[in-house]
Amino acid sequence: MKMSRTGLALIAAAYIAVPLLLGSNNYVMSLVVAAMIIGGIALAWALLGNLGGMVSFGHSAFFGVGAYVSALLTMKAGVPVLAAMLLGGAGAVLASLVMLPVLRLKGPYFALAILAYAHIFKIIATEWSSVTGGSAGLASVPRFPELMGFDFSGKIGSYLIILTVLLAFVAAYRAIRASHYGIALRAMHDSEDATRVVGVNSTLLKAVMLFVSAFMTGVVGAFNVHYINFLEPDYAFSGLWVTLPIVAAIFGGYRTIVGPLAGAVTVYLVDQLVFKNLIPSGHQLILGALLVAMIIFSPGGLIPLLRKGFGRKHAAA
Amino acid sequence: MDCNCIIRSKLGLAALALSLTAGVASAEELLVGAEIPLTGSLARVGAGMNEGISVAVEVFNKTNGKHTIKVITADDESAPAKAIAAVEKLAGQGVVAITGGYGSNNIGPASDAANKLGLPYITSGGVDDSLTERGIKTFFRINNTAGYRKAMVGLLDDMKVKSASVIYSTKEATADLAKDVQKELAAKGMTVGMHAFDPAITDFKPIINKIRLQDKSEVILMAGYENDYVGILRAAKVLKPDVKAMIGVWSLATPKMVADFPDLMPSVYGTALLPFPAEFKTADGKLFADTYKKLYNKEPDYLGQFGYVQSMILFEAIARAADKGTLKKGGVVQELARTDRETLIGRVQFNDKGDNVNFVHRMGQHQNGKIAIVWPSDAATGKMSFPGVPW
Repeated sequence: MKMSRTGLALIAAAYIAVPLLLGSNNYVMSLVVAAMIIGGIALAWALLGNLGGMVSFGHSAFFGVGAYVSALLTMKAGVPVLAAMLLGGAGAVLASLVMLPVLRLKGPYFALAILAYAHIFKIIATEWSSVTGGSAGLASVPRFPELMGFDFSGKIGSYLIILTVLLAFVAAYRAIRASHYGIALRAMHDSEDATRVVGVNSTLLKAVMLFVSAFMTGVVGAFNVHYINFLEPDYAFSGLWVTLPIVAAIFGGYRTIVGPLAGAVTVYLVDQLVFKNLIPSGHQLILGALLVAMIIFSPGGLIPLLRKGFGRKHAAA
Repeated sequence: MDCNCIIRSKLGLAALALSLTAGVASAEELLVGAEIPLTGSLARVGAGMNEGISVAVEVFNKTNGKHTIKVITADDESAPAKAIAAVEKLAGQGVVAITGGYGSNNIGPASDAANKLGLPYITSGGVDDSLTERGIKTFFRINNTAGYRKAMVGLLDDMKVKSASVIYSTKEATADLAKDVQKELAAKGMTVGMHAFDPAITDFKPIINKIRLQDKSEVILMAGYENDYVGILRAAKVLKPDVKAMIGVWSLATPKMVADFPDLMPSVYGTALLPFPAEFKTADGKLFADTYKKLYNKEPDYLGQFGYVQSMILFEAIARAADKGTLKKGGVVQELARTDRETLIGRVQFNDKGDNVNFVHRMGQHQNGKIAIVWPSDAATGKMSFPGVPW
């Protein structure tokens, strides 16, 4: 698996140019970090849809569980923040175990069943007040630490953490897609029955994809709680953690790996930096129209559209 | 022109320039940020607070005479991450403090961001106790759960009832209030039945039936929001439990409820700062009401009053800090901490956690299409109609 020069240049720019150029602007860095949080969930959601063939409306469950597990481990057990983030992902995987029975469902039935699970986890977080703080939630959740003299709780530090997390997710996604399992998963996407006939355990593969997607979303939820330092059930399990990532993934191109990330960054930053300045209240209207236009004119999303554009330029040259 | 004349004219010009500079400095326009939800789930309450902030700007600029305030508003879209971004954007635009915020989950992260940037943050939009337990010295709040609890319990004391059933939403502010009220009533020897409900439910008949057949309480207390009250009162009107009063908190004793649900409101109680139609006895109150009506052509509501009070307190603290030359040396925080002022919501003084120690709400009752303040007695504009229910 080779990485293109463009890919390497983009990674170098993300690590060096973004902090150097935007690091002093807290506002823009805030938006960039928020966009990357949405991008992380969008990537995990697209992985489940693209490789597992499942459309989920319940990713807020993994996001919320990851956030709560990480916050509680740091606050009550003194676990270091970065380790707790990974355990937050593990907590989301555990939460996904109870969703295994719905893997036998397909299409809208699966989507609705997983949405119900998200609501169940929200009720648990509200009612189990002795542990979760109930509806009042958790305040003063520990921030990211200072390591080797660098404060990771600052804007640049938080940005570098989420960037690293997302790049690790992209690498994992690429590795899965390029493996034998990836081929089987893509074949399942076309005909699950046909792949079962040739001996592929489709339910097991779908379960593994659900675990991977849950882990990714849980880690992003854990990152968010240490970034925001506050958590309560309505926020942790909000439907926005599903709708916005789905919009981002579809806008960017959910069939590609970088599409969901590019979609999240584009949708969020353009909306906040451009549309919001044009129409302070109601700017989402333009975003909605843009999404409709994208679906009509480029159903594959932004990345395939850009590739087509570059392809034409090269052909012309 | 001789030498002396030249020197004199130069001195004169220098003096004129100095006086002009001094004039400019004294008439400095001070920038204040307003971080408010103008869209999203909290848009309605955010818009109400925003009206109060605009009235405060108008009144301050008209009455101060020395300083003028300009407010830059940023919509936080009812989302914590955007609330942080809004505060950071306002800081980048050079504001000296932040007013606004609604919902503890937005106020917490936003005030945290303001604190990191050294900006004072004042609000009336979040009553969660954890907000004032963070040790943040730049955070100030003019209302709190305790003030609502005192009003509810005080009204029940006047009614001399011995039992109550509390119906409350599991949302943070309502659940906190319900539990605080229960503790205090239980400590007074009252029998209290607790009935939590998920914010998503709309049919309250099972809860009302339980109260009617099992609790058999004298009064029903409601801690929820507009839609919840409407659902509870509709269910109660159908099942007619044998209670003497229906008592709610915020968003209930309002002109909007009078207009929208005239059949459900008679004799119902809720927290209210002012009667409706509004009667202002103080000069400050009259100025607020006149300005509000001029700007918005309607009666002021409680959201506008809270937004006005928090912003006026902040603007006055900024003006005092500017006069002392401590505006950029933490002076606004110091001046806010020294606040001791009679306002539309009563006397405001902050403790070392930034909470208003004097906050006690008032209780209003819907009476003949109007709202009368019935508790406390020194602020009452009407007599309590007790027992009394809408059916």
